[in-house]
Amino acid sequence: MSHRNQLAAQLAGRVGPADARGPGADDARARRVSRAAALSDRGADFAAAVDAASAANLAACLQCAKCTSGCPVAARADIRPHELVRLVQLGQLDEVLGSRLIWQCTSCQTCTTRCPQKVDIAAMNDALRRLSRTRAKVCAGTTVPTFNDIFLRTIRRLGRMYEMGLMASYKLRTLRLMEDVGKLPMMLKKRKLALLPPLVRGRAERKRLFERCRQAGDRKP
Amino acid sequence: MSYVFYPGCSLEGTARDFGLSTVAVVRALGIDLPELPDWTCCGSTAAHQSDPLLALALPAKNLASAAGRTVAVCCAACYSRLKTANHEIARNAATRRRVAEAIGRDYDGRTPVAHLLEILVRDVGLKKIAERVKRPLKDLRVVCYYGCLLSRPPEVTKFDDPENPTLMDRLMEAVGATAVDWPHKTECCGASYSITDVDTVLALSREILAMARAAGADAIVTACPLCQLNLDLRQKDIEAKFGESFDLPVFHFTQILGLALGIAPRELGLGSLVVDPAPLLAARVGMTG
Repeated sequence: MSHRNQLAAQLAGRVGPADARGPGADDARARRVSRAAALSDRGADFAAAVDAASAANLAACLQCAKCTSGCPVAARADIRPHELVRLVQLGQLDEVLGSRLIWQCTSCQTCTTRCPQKVDIAAMNDALRRLSRTRAKVCAGTTVPTFNDIFLRTIRRLGRMYEMGLMASYKLRTLRLMEDVGKLPMMLKKRKLALLPPLVRGRAERKRLFERCRQAGDRKP
Repeated sequence: MSYVFYPGCSLEGTARDFGLSTVAVVRALGIDLPELPDWTCCGSTAAHQSDPLLALALPAKNLASAAGRTVAVCCAACYSRLKTANHEIARNAATRRRVAEAIGRDYDGRTPVAHLLEILVRDVGLKKIAERVKRPLKDLRVVCYYGCLLSRPPEVTKFDDPENPTLMDRLMEAVGATAVDWPHKTECCGASYSITDVDTVLALSREILAMARAAGADAIVTACPLCQLNLDLRQKDIEAKFGESFDLPVFHFTQILGLALGIAPRELGLGSLVVDPAPLLAARVGMTG
């Protein structure tokens, strides 16, 4: 008998005398408790997976909320950074991966810098963003993943950022067509935007680098 | 010390004036700063939010080609990514191996990385810089804004005090300006979301502008192209949204240094600033036209 089933059976035994509920009730209870134990196991698995992916040292969190006090976006977020850590520990996968906070975080690293327990909350959040995408849980309304994809595709192709191309693709993909368009003439006049894309040698090499990183990512769970 | 310059993408685009003023300033100070050939983007926020290996491989590819010279950086985001790659690769053999597989060569994580502020204050020295000043900025009151990524996390960047950095303040004082003390040196302007979450950027940048004004500054001096862009390019939007008037010029620190060294405004790209610095420079630095 596995440890989990053992635990479930033990817990089931404490629920009450089997004969009081009729035949089969004990089995049903055992199944229920086993399912609960499995769920909490998955919760622990989730916390462990996030910790492994980020080396964030999550178990050390004391819930002192120092991260939240210094967080520039906590006041605007749906859940606060110290709550996010707790939800990860509790394996609340849907709430965590679907939260707006993980995409509102500006990666300013204040939380990580100030944490008295050396929990790397910013690194945890990077892992959560990736998981949120691979499990298709990204909250509605954020365009950050789209922006990141276009950004990285530009780098892969050109080697460096090309702001005009990036903005054109981003506007088409998100349909935020008019945002900041009024600034364009001024930015061009002040030469804040390069008209032509950058020319950097080594395109084949870049493509290989991106491809190898992608394959390495696929190999890891 | 021998340097190689990693400009980063911003200095070829929205922060072209940061690039111009950097080149002008290092030339005036006699620092040899050749550009790293065929450098590529560090991956920035997009990479570390998306793919942890790519976020290390892109900086590593550049650092590995520096041939042992110190990589000089102006952009705080590039600085953070290059330093983070070094930190992770140097302390973890498995990470080093995975990065080597991705970039096709071994890299030990030991190429030195320095921000231009560190080079100016620690390598060149404030005394030598003060001796070269041709136009003392004694009537100029500035606040120095460092942003997030130079000083955080301190174990990785080893830049300065993470809560109260002073490198830029000391540089400004060395060229005669008054660096006003203020509490928002390392607050976040919302940098990486300048395009994806403008509301957040406007709110965060407003706090910084308001505090700079409350501190009695004539101008904000920055060491990060993204900070400068948000505070300068978005200042009009912030004024409109919150019904306030700031009219605070936002400089790259190399532009202020360049002015003090007597370099012409055109060479420093002052024309690229959105909030016009001309009235301030006429009133406080005696520069006309």
